[in-house]
Amino acid sequence: MRAAFRTAIPALLSSAAAFRPCRRILRLSPLLLLRSSPLSSSMANHPTPPSSASPSSSSTAAAGATVGLSSSSSSSMEKQFEDFRVQLEESGSVRERIRRVVMEMEGAIRLMHSSLLLVHQSLPAPEVLEKARVQIGVLNDLFGRLAEILRECPGQYYRYHGDWKSETQTVVSLLAFLHWLETGSLLTHEEAEKKLGLNASEFGLDIEDYLIGLCFMSNEMPRYVVNQVTAGDYDCPRKVLKFLTDLHAAFRMLNLRNDFLRKKFDGMKYDLRRVEEVYYDVKIRGLASGETTKDQTTQA
Amino acid sequence: MLYSSCRHLLSSFPMAASKPHRLHQIVGASLLSSSKKPRTMATDSTMKQEFTKYADYLNELNDKRERVVKASRDVTINSKKVIFQVHRISKDNKEEVLAKAENDLAAVTDQYISRLVKELQGTDFWKLRRAYTFAVQEYVEAATLCRFCKTGTLLNLAEINASLLPLSDQSVEPLQINVLDYLLGLADLTGELMRLAIGRISDGEVEYAEKICQFVRDIYRELTLVVPRMDDNSEMKKKMETMLQSVVKIENACFSVHVRGSEYNPLLGSSDPDYSIFGIIMQFL
Repeated sequence: MRAAFRTAIPALLSSAAAFRPCRRILRLSPLLLLRSSPLSSSMANHPTPPSSASPSSSSTAAAGATVGLSSSSSSSMEKQFEDFRVQLEESGSVRERIRRVVMEMEGAIRLMHSSLLLVHQSLPAPEVLEKARVQIGVLNDLFGRLAEILRECPGQYYRYHGDWKSETQTVVSLLAFLHWLETGSLLTHEEAEKKLGLNASEFGLDIEDYLIGLCFMSNEMPRYVVNQVTAGDYDCPRKVLKFLTDLHAAFRMLNLRNDFLRKKFDGMKYDLRRVEEVYYDVKIRGLASGETTKDQTTQA
Repeated sequence: MLYSSCRHLLSSFPMAASKPHRLHQIVGASLLSSSKKPRTMATDSTMKQEFTKYADYLNELNDKRERVVKASRDVTINSKKVIFQVHRISKDNKEEVLAKAENDLAAVTDQYISRLVKELQGTDFWKLRRAYTFAVQEYVEAATLCRFCKTGTLLNLAEINASLLPLSDQSVEPLQINVLDYLLGLADLTGELMRLAIGRISDGEVEYAEKICQFVRDIYRELTLVVPRMDDNSEMKKKMETMLQSVVKIENACFSVHVRGSEYNPLLGSSDPDYSIFGIIMQFL
């Protein structure tokens, strides 16, 4: 301990001695001091004081030996970065092409969505659904083009996934809603892939995207129920409630992470509650009475 | 390859799920003897069936991600240790310190990177990239720092990737560090080199610091051309700003030694010139 002090004190003394002339010079040049002061706060690591003061001639010789190497290395460095530039340019052009397809996809989605919105205005008519169904073919082609682009860079599906992720989720929600209107059942992941002409082995439908799409579909349900009841279909809330309850129960089987899907799933319960309220309103006023008595007789 | 794990589940699934399915049908049949809506019944049970598949897929993916994160943490910690080892360098112990650093780095590759490779096997590398990108960046930083101190050159991505090839079995696609992670690692390297340069100057090795300065400038210059083309370059843009600061710090330190160091080396005499330089550098920190 004491020995450590004894060695430390001369070092402190001599570094203090070094500071003195240093300050003097800085006082002479306040401009330099100003220039260097902003740096001091951001500097993270302070160098440790040198333990021994040996003449610097040996180190400069060593450094000089390696300095020669760096000139030859800078050309190989240039070459590597040139390669990177080419590679990144290629992936950039892939992304460009993907984005162009996704833009077209957005157009098809808008058309499909707007034609599906008609279901809110009246009781479902087959020609309303037919108009929406046309867009599935368009989307099929567009996904085919995406798959074709991705075929050029195998194994990089998830590198570019972010570019079509949200569009795919919307597509799933529209498809699932349409499918439910047609059949009253849930569109499965496999069926969704089939509808979009996707092949799981090369360009599949990400399961998380599919599930998020289902959550979006659930968001659409309360409005649908309200409008159907207004249009006179009093049995609709019961059907939707059953479907949403099942869907919610199924979602609870999943172990979710704290991510976007989790957030969307958490929102689903509000859709469920809203539909329950509508069902309650209809039922308590005896509007759905015919249906319930029929139910009771069949069950008895 | 994309859904290899998922399809595997699909094939193994019907046997596992047939039981609850049948059970449900029996229960359903007893409750609603003449089921009014057989379709909704079927929907419910197929829905459960389908969701079992999704649950399995998500469980497997999350477990894998968790394991990758754990392996990555080990890579990060131990790569950091290598970097700290390199910073223990001083004029007299260069070979010794670097030999130990290289040893440690080899241990990181053999033990921890290989585990990361094992955990990632069979998955799309891009899917879980967020889980391991920081570990890989840190590893690139450690490896390139070691190489620079040894030879004064930049360790190429191709060389790193070649060294990773023997880590995994022939049957699976080997982990290859992608350009983006390599470049992000290089950006961090310049920060470490700045520290190294300041340390060297305070140790009296001005020429070594100047060599570092030149090297960092080269990297910065090359990166300015590459960064705008990177996939998601917001992170990299931030790093470029920090990098420029590092370059400027080294340049200023070199400058001050050049200009002022020459003024007072003679003042203090040749007894201990290093402390005088150290004093100047301290003004910058």
